[in-house]
Amino acid sequence: MPARRPAALFSLAAGLVVIAGGTAGLLLTRHPAQIVRPVAGVAALPAPTGPIVAPPQSADPRPVPRPVSLTIPLIGVQTSLITLGLTSSGALQVPSSTAVAGWYTGSPKPGAIGSAIIVGHIDSYTGPGVFFRLSELRPGDKVFVKRADGTLVEFRVTLVQTYLKDRFPTQAVYGPTPDPELRLITCGGAFDYATRHYLSNIVVYATEVS
Amino acid sequence: MKLSRIIRRLVMLLAVSALLLGLPAAATAYASSASTGTGWIRLAHFSPNTPAVDVYLYSFGNSNAQIVLDHVAYGTVSPYESVTAGDYSVAMRAAGASPTSPPVLSTSVTIQAGHAYTVAGMGPESGLRLQVLDDALTTPVGQSLVRVIQASLKQQVVTVTFGSTVLVSNLHFASVSSYQAVLPGTDNVTVTAGSTSVHSSVTLAAGTVHTLVILDGANGLEVVNLEDASGSGQAPAGGVSTGFGGTAPHGPGSPVPWLAVIGAGALLALTGGLRMRRSGLRPHRQLRTGI
Repeated sequence: MPARRPAALFSLAAGLVVIAGGTAGLLLTRHPAQIVRPVAGVAALPAPTGPIVAPPQSADPRPVPRPVSLTIPLIGVQTSLITLGLTSSGALQVPSSTAVAGWYTGSPKPGAIGSAIIVGHIDSYTGPGVFFRLSELRPGDKVFVKRADGTLVEFRVTLVQTYLKDRFPTQAVYGPTPDPELRLITCGGAFDYATRHYLSNIVVYATEVS
Repeated sequence: MKLSRIIRRLVMLLAVSALLLGLPAAATAYASSASTGTGWIRLAHFSPNTPAVDVYLYSFGNSNAQIVLDHVAYGTVSPYESVTAGDYSVAMRAAGASPTSPPVLSTSVTIQAGHAYTVAGMGPESGLRLQVLDDALTTPVGQSLVRVIQASLKQQVVTVTFGSTVLVSNLHFASVSSYQAVLPGTDNVTVTAGSTSVHSSVTLAAGTVHTLVILDGANGLEVVNLEDASGSGQAPAGGVSTGFGGTAPHGPGSPVPWLAVIGAGALLALTGGLRMRRSGLRPHRQLRTGI
């Protein structure tokens, strides 16, 4: 009898310690989002220099030069623009490099009437991509596109949205608009390690400054 | 009783951890409202014998004009302006007239978010009116939408074709056809009025909306091709794969091992507690087994 009570007491105490440990382990592994994103010192860039063109007229619009580069001063984006088409399955092609953005040639040219589409990666397998900080943009922030003739088009952000990819609003993003607009698209939201894809897209809507 | 208090605490602890487990799920709910609450409006002068005008756009109940277009002559169309959805009024004054003078003409227009409107001065000067047109912003997949505004006073009735497609037959002066879907391409727009006709090469791309305005030009009829709206002729399917996960937070992993550890601990504590209780409450039994 004297041996039994300490054994029972030990069992109870050990059990409580194990419960505490298990609970701590469970709780500590539930908050992975607190991993600090490397927002390392990407300084804001100056606005690019060049002649800023007036928005197009809707009457007999002249051909617009193709876009060659994109600058978003606030988030330190400065990239050349490659051209993108569609994949065999009809999805939007993405740049093979995560360091450059691309313009979808099936969309209007930036600065022409309509919704021009520019796409860039949020990250590579190892670190940030060209549009890593895209979700930091807010209405009013400036976006510049330089065209082949050296002229600049200045856009202002109007809206930043996150959409689940399986509920992507095709009409809002790719549908016609009556004024010169821009859609900047990258990935965001949760990352599915099973399929190795982000579950959401971030879309920045911008309109040409008149 | 001490034991039941311990068990109650265990249950509480498990309930609290279950609650915390549920939290990350709640935090991934997404905002989906895509609206900025704005629509578009443009202003036009389609009255052939009316001199140039100044056009004013007022937000309803505000006497300070939000937009003023000076010296708008026949055939002029402004670019679309993005404005907050709501009620507006459009007023026309003779070019150069005082902004406080009574307008020649005015009308009200309700702008809905995500919609586009053309407010045009239509008709002859003697019967000038401001007409509000709803402008289309969506096209059938792979097609172009086109409509015709008949603003020629010299040729009162016209028929308009795009290639072999008839866009509208016998359209009268100061009226507007409804939109028609056409297969995209570059082709001749032919305007026929009586025995005369004019041609004009026009490109209608997939995913674009156009308005063809028939005007009295210096040398007969003129066709102005307005690009009302434009989008991706072929919209890409689904979302866009623009990330490889290099900056993604690592997944939390399965909670099952931790729950198993908690379960085992609970079992251990429960066993210990029960044994303590037994030995504490029934000492005679201990005595008996001791014999």
